[in-house]
Amino acid sequence: MFHGSGLFALLLMVLEWTRPGLSSPLRPICDLRVLDHYIKEAWDAEAAVRACKDDCSSATNFTVPLTRVDFDVWEAMNIEEQAQEVQSGIHVLNEAISSLQAFNQTDVIQSNIDATIRNIVSIRQVLRSLSIPEYVPPTSGGEDKEMQKVSSVSELFQIHVNFLRGKVRLLLASAPVCHQGVS
Amino acid sequence: MRKMRSDGLTVVFMLCLAFVTTGGKSFESTVSQLLRDETEDLKCFVVGKKDLTCFWEVEEARNDQYTFMYSYENEKKTPCVVSSRFLLASNKTVFFCKLPKTIFFAALDVQVFRDGRTLYNRSLRAENILFVDPPRNLTVMSSGKEGQLNVSWLPPPLKYMDDSMIYEVRYAVDGSHMGKVEEMMASTTLVLRDLQSGTRYKVWVRVKLDGVSYKSYWSSWTDPVFADTLPSGIDPLIVLLVLFIGLILCLLSLTVILSHHKVLLKKLWPDIPTPEHKFPGLFTVYKGDFKEWMSQNNGSMWGRSVHVFTEELPSHVEVLSEVSLTSHGTSPREERKPVVEVEESERTDSGLMGGWREPPHAQWLMEQLRALQENPESLSQSTLLQSHDTYVALNQNSQHVEEVAERQEDDVFEETLPLQTLFTTEGTSSLSASHSDLGSLPQSSGSGRLSSQSSFEYPNHTWPPKGCGYTYMAVADSGVSMDYSPMSSSRNTELGKHGIYTNEYKNEIFGKWPFSSQHVESGY
Repeated sequence: MFHGSGLFALLLMVLEWTRPGLSSPLRPICDLRVLDHYIKEAWDAEAAVRACKDDCSSATNFTVPLTRVDFDVWEAMNIEEQAQEVQSGIHVLNEAISSLQAFNQTDVIQSNIDATIRNIVSIRQVLRSLSIPEYVPPTSGGEDKEMQKVSSVSELFQIHVNFLRGKVRLLLASAPVCHQGVS
Repeated sequence: MRKMRSDGLTVVFMLCLAFVTTGGKSFESTVSQLLRDETEDLKCFVVGKKDLTCFWEVEEARNDQYTFMYSYENEKKTPCVVSSRFLLASNKTVFFCKLPKTIFFAALDVQVFRDGRTLYNRSLRAENILFVDPPRNLTVMSSGKEGQLNVSWLPPPLKYMDDSMIYEVRYAVDGSHMGKVEEMMASTTLVLRDLQSGTRYKVWVRVKLDGVSYKSYWSSWTDPVFADTLPSGIDPLIVLLVLFIGLILCLLSLTVILSHHKVLLKKLWPDIPTPEHKFPGLFTVYKGDFKEWMSQNNGSMWGRSVHVFTEELPSHVEVLSEVSLTSHGTSPREERKPVVEVEESERTDSGLMGGWREPPHAQWLMEQLRALQENPESLSQSTLLQSHDTYVALNQNSQHVEEVAERQEDDVFEETLPLQTLFTTEGTSSLSASHSDLGSLPQSSGSGRLSSQSSFEYPNHTWPPKGCGYTYMAVADSGVSMDYSPMSSSRNTELGKHGIYTNEYKNEIFGKWPFSSQHVESGY
């Protein structure tokens, strides 16, 4: 019995050490047409939700990232700051859209919510391929300067589209991995 | 020192003036284009990533007070300074406001007030109203292939937006108003195909953003670039193939010609028929002494000749007028060729064999042959004597002669035309004959009445006009001819001396005259 438990412990240690479950590094996805594909899907979702007015109202407010981009300010930021802003915004957006699933929605809205969630997962994979570290904003009680409040589902999807078109795309376009071969 | 300072200020002023002028010109052109393209009354555009300008047009420049207010999402309303400019090109006045800051991917609300009242109110987004410059360095060159041109250009310098551009290439024949448009996605080169060869083309390009992340108006067209397509030329490979095939065909034709040169030569350049084979030994043994030859061969000559005749192919016979023969400076006697066996077709063989009698003027005929032998050049002198077919002048048969003699002396005289064998041309081909024509030969034309049973044909259309001293008739197949020449007294006398020659050979065609034309023509 001792030998069995000892062997089992040894096996766990070896597995923990090697971590065979880890996937190989992703190839960098520098082609912005990939992101454009997800942006187009976000446009479709936003258009579908825009047509829904009464059925898409919500009693709660959603915390969403700011989508505005001032190029003077953006270009003054370094890549880490840009990455942090983008990753925190994606995190917040994902939480806001996921919270919609708790409400009874129409089939059309529900399908668009599911598509948007899959969309965000794919974009996170793209960011991971560019070696952009993930960032989870701290859950502080105070207001975040880069966050805002929206009250409707259509606004939530609009924020999603504009966030992808703006900050996410700018970050991918200037990813250091994609410019390593260019002097 | 003061002078240097003033000079420096002057330079700075001039530079600023130039910059403003250039920028102003660009502003005017942009405004002019948006006045055409933008449907909103309050028109706004973003140039680059920082300059957002809104303007509106007024018909009459009055002293109105305009107020411009703008606010980005979650911000307060902020006023903007309003300016005006007179457009010389359109003779209009525009008021505009250039926002101090431009925020992308955020909602922007703008309002225009005139004398305290809202004139315009619009909500827009900066990333959707971009105004891009036209493409740069447009180059058009021939691709080296017929009907193709290579077009290339550079995108306008817009950071972050290079891969979001759509291009439109317009091309047209120089001088033509009809053009075609090609759309390109994120590519700065294009090959124009299926163009006219050797033609001058004009090419323009413009650009806009695709609208996925950024959206813009169409830029203005570039200045046209001219290029010529290659002239149509023959592919050298095709030329080589054509030459090679031509060479092979020439060799093949040469081979065929050489292998059949004898046959072809005979067809194209037939030998001059000579009577030697008809008179075996006449010219070799007896040196042309016909009397001697006749005496040696006795009466079997004609039969043999007839037999020979039947074996040979029928030849074209043409009748010559005696008058024309006389007019050519040779005596009728001399012009009359030596008696050559008239080649008859097979259908006339029986007639010849059955009814051929020794002509009474055989002696005269022999003399004609001798004359021919003595004067061979007389053959070439006659215009008719260009070919080498046999001519035979035939008078009426004995039966008809008897009938005619009872009627008229002239008829008898005409019927007593001796048989004449002449060398004739083979000119006439399409012959037609009618039985009725035979009996209706007008004497006034100088031709003898022909009522023989010989099968001959003459073309009615070739009947010579009156007064023509020379007539001839091409006779086919039968090998005999009728002399339709006007009879002179001397000639008549001469003929009378030789008596009447009758040709009584049977001729199957005689009974087939209504169909003889077809028959004879087919025989050709």
